[in-house]
Amino acid sequence: MSLPVSGVHTLHGRAIAFASGIKIANPELTVIVNVGDGDGLGIGVGHFVSAGRRNLDITVLVHNNGVYGLTKGQASPTLKLGERTKSLPKPNINSGINPIALALTSGYTFVARAYSFDTKGEAEIIRAAVKHRGSSFVDILQPCPTYNDINTKEWFDKRVYKADMDGEVKDEPDQQEKIIAAIRKSYEWDEKIPVGVFYRNELVPPFQERIRGNVPSYPGRHPANSVIEKDGIPTTSVSKLIAAKRVI
Amino acid sequence: MQVTWTIGGPQGMGVDTSATLFGNIVCSAGFRIYGEREYHSNIKGRHSFFKIVFSEGNVRSMVRATDILATFEPQTIFEHFTEVRKFVIYDKAAESTDIEKANFMEPELRKEAATFLTARGYGTTAGEAVRYMTDRGVKAVPVSYRQLLTEISRNIKLPYTVIDRSRNTVAVSASCALLGISKDSVLNMIRSTFRNESFAQLNLHAAEAGYSILKKEFDLPGVSVSSHRVLVDGNTLSALGKMYGGLRFQSYYPITPASDESTYIEANQILGEGPDADGIIVIQTEDEISAINMAIGSALTGARSATATSGPGFSLMSEGLSWAGMNEVPLVVTNYVRGGPSTGLPTRSGQEDLQFALHAGHGEFPRIVLASCDVEEVFGDAAWAMNLAEKYQTPVVHLIEKALANAFVTIDEERLSIPDYRIERGRISRETGILHRFANEGDGISPRVFLGQGSIFYTGDEHNDRGHMREYSSNRIAMYEKRMKKLDTADREIPAERRVQSYGSADAGNIILSWGSTRGVLLDALDILNKEKTECRLVQIKMFSPFPAEQVSRLLEGGKMIIAVENNYSAQGAAYVRERTGISTSNEILKFNGMPMFLEEVVDALRLVVEKNERRVILNG
Repeated sequence: MSLPVSGVHTLHGRAIAFASGIKIANPELTVIVNVGDGDGLGIGVGHFVSAGRRNLDITVLVHNNGVYGLTKGQASPTLKLGERTKSLPKPNINSGINPIALALTSGYTFVARAYSFDTKGEAEIIRAAVKHRGSSFVDILQPCPTYNDINTKEWFDKRVYKADMDGEVKDEPDQQEKIIAAIRKSYEWDEKIPVGVFYRNELVPPFQERIRGNVPSYPGRHPANSVIEKDGIPTTSVSKLIAAKRVI
Repeated sequence: MQVTWTIGGPQGMGVDTSATLFGNIVCSAGFRIYGEREYHSNIKGRHSFFKIVFSEGNVRSMVRATDILATFEPQTIFEHFTEVRKFVIYDKAAESTDIEKANFMEPELRKEAATFLTARGYGTTAGEAVRYMTDRGVKAVPVSYRQLLTEISRNIKLPYTVIDRSRNTVAVSASCALLGISKDSVLNMIRSTFRNESFAQLNLHAAEAGYSILKKEFDLPGVSVSSHRVLVDGNTLSALGKMYGGLRFQSYYPITPASDESTYIEANQILGEGPDADGIIVIQTEDEISAINMAIGSALTGARSATATSGPGFSLMSEGLSWAGMNEVPLVVTNYVRGGPSTGLPTRSGQEDLQFALHAGHGEFPRIVLASCDVEEVFGDAAWAMNLAEKYQTPVVHLIEKALANAFVTIDEERLSIPDYRIERGRISRETGILHRFANEGDGISPRVFLGQGSIFYTGDEHNDRGHMREYSSNRIAMYEKRMKKLDTADREIPAERRVQSYGSADAGNIILSWGSTRGVLLDALDILNKEKTECRLVQIKMFSPFPAEQVSRLLEGGKMIIAVENNYSAQGAAYVRERTGISTSNEILKFNGMPMFLEEVVDALRLVVEKNERRVILNG
C-alpha cells in the first residue's frame, strides 16, 4: 500500500516554478510546495512573489528557522538585523524580511503562520491552506536545534500564541482593510508572536479561471490530458494558420 | 532577374509595415523574396531598415548591394549611400541636411561617412551623398513629400502629423511603378492591409501620388504562379512547427529575438473550433529560470512542453537544463542566437552560442542540439525537436539564428505540410502504483510515467531507478551510463544524412565546412565559383549532438583545403568537428559584426582563400 503521492526534489529556490508548471499543465493534481526560508524567500523570492500574483491554486509551506542549516548555519533572509546565531562569525548585517507581509502584498489569498511544536494547530492550518482555492502560504516557525541558538524551542514557547484574527474577506470593499490589518498584525514579533490565519480571500479569481478566460475548455481540457496524435498523426492542424500567411 | 530593394527610416515610423506591404505586393506579382529585418535595441528613433531580395526563382542569400534604396528622411541616405547601384528615392527637402543633423546615427559612424564623402571631394549633406551615388550611375528620384502630402491633406480630414506617416507608402508605390508592377496590385494590397477606412483612404491617395512620380525602368510585370505561396519568418515557423508537433505548454520571458514566437502561439493558442477545443497554455514568467523550470514541471505531467529564449536567457536556464538532463525530462529549448557576449548585439545575428549550447549546464548529461540551416527548415526541425525530446527523454536545444528568425521568405505552401511526419512519444508505461521511472532497459531509455499516474520520485541528486537519492558507487556508475547511453541510441537511430549534408561535386578539391544560416549564401557562392573553376563543395552540419562523426569524417576526406565559414570569432563548429573527428580546417572565413553573410563578400573571401591561401578572412559587410 502506498500513498498516491509523488515527489519532485527540485533545484534549490525553484520549487515554486516547477510546481507552477505541474499545476498549470495538470490542474487535477494537488500541489504542495515545501521550501525553506533561504530557498523560498532568498534565492527563490522572485518565484514566491510571482506565485502570489498569479493566485495559482498551490500551497507554499515555508519551513522557517532563520538559518541555512545544510551549509552550516549562515543567516537566512528571515534572521533579524544584528542577530548572531552560533555559527555566524559576525552579527547579521541584513534586515530580516517579514514573510507574512511579503505574501500579503504579493497577492497570496491565504496567508497563515504555524508553529512546528504545535503539531495539531499546524496540521489544521495546512489542511485549510491546501483546501483553499488560490495561492496559499504558511509560514511555519521551527527552531533549528543545530545552528539557531537564538530562536530556540524555549524562545518560541514563551512567545507563540494562537491569535484570533478576523482575516476573512467577505466582500470586495473589505479586501484592502483586511490586508492592512493583517500586515499590522504580522509586525507583532518580539514579545508575542501570533499564529493562525492572517488573511483569507476566495473572491480573487484563481489562475485557472484566468486561463479559462483565454482557453474556454480549460481546466477540463488541459496540457496533460490533451490528445496530440492519433496513430501518430498530429491532431493539431496548422494549415489554416499557414494559409493565413498566403501571398499568392 | 534578381532585384534588391531596401527601405529605411527611424524606428517607429512604419518601416516594417511598408516593407511588409512591398513584400506582399512583390509576392502577389509572382516573385519570391528573401527579406531581412534589421533594427536597433530601441523603441523609437534609431535607424531600422528592411532589405528585400526578390526574383522569379529561389532566393536564398542576402546581398550587400541594393538596386533601389527607398528613403523618406536623410539618415537612411547616410547609412546606405555606398551600397546603392541603380535608384535612390529620397526627400528633396532633405538635400541640404548635413550629416551632423543625423542625430540617431552613432557619432563614429557619422564621422566615418563624412570622412568617406570629403575624401572623395563631396560635401557632407544628404544632397552630396545623392550626388556621390549619381556620379556612379545611380538614378536619383527626388520626391517633395511634404508638398505631395499637403495636397492629400486637403482631401482627407486627418491631421498632417498622421498624414506625414504615409511617406513610406509613397516610397513603396513609387518603387512599384519603377519596377513595372501594376498600380492595381499596389492599390489592392493597400486595401487589404489597412482595415481602418480613413487610413486605407490616406494610403490609397499616397500610393496614387507615389505611383505617378516614376515611370517603369524595370520590366517586371509579374510571373504567373499556379500554386499557393506563403510569406513567413523563422519565428512564426518555429511556433507552427512546435504546434504541429503537439506542443501544449510554452513558458517564456520576453527577450529579442525570441518573444515573437511565444506571442504568436498565444495569439493562436486555441486549437480548433467550439468550447471543447484544446488549447496551448502560454505563460509569461518572471524570469528565464522560471520559464525553463515551469516547462520542466509541465513536461513531468506528460504534456509536450517547451520554452523559447536567446543567449542571456539561455545562460539563466543552464541550471534547469542540467536538472532536466539528470531527470531525463523531454524538453525543447528553442534558443534564438544573437550577438554576445552579455547583451552584445541584442538585435543582430551570430553563431556564437554553438559551443555554449553543447556544454551549457553543469555535469555531463545527454542532449540533442540541432541548428536550422534556412527559414523553411525551421518548421520541420521544430516539429522534429518535439519528437526527439520525448523519444530520447532528454533536453533538445534548437538553435535558430536571428538571421533566420527575422528573415521573411516566400515558401510554397505545400512544402509546409510534411505529410510523413508522425508524432513519436517514445516509451511510455501506463502502470500505476509504485513506479520505477528510471528502470534500465538496456538502451538507456526507460518507460516514461507521468505525475499523477502513481507514486513517482524525482531528484536532482543521483538516484536509483525509483528516483530515490543514492550515492553508492555501483548505482552511480549504472545510472550515469544508462543516461549517457541514450546518446548512443540516438546516434544509432537518427540517420546521419539528416544530420549532415554535402552539396556540390564530390570531386571538388576544396571543402567548405559550415552550419546553420550560412547554407543559402554558400550554395549561391558555390554556383558562382564553380563556373570559374574555383571548385568547392559544401559540408553543412545540422545536428551537433548526437554528432555524426563517421559521416562527417567521410565527407571531409580528401579535401585539399577545408574552409570553415561561420558567424563567430573562433570557428566553433570547426573546433567541434576537430574534437570529434580529429580533422582540422585549414582556413577560416568568419563574420561576427552582427550582420548575416552577404553573397558578394563570401564569394570574394572564398576566392582569396582558394587562390591565395589566405588563412583567416574576417568579413565586415
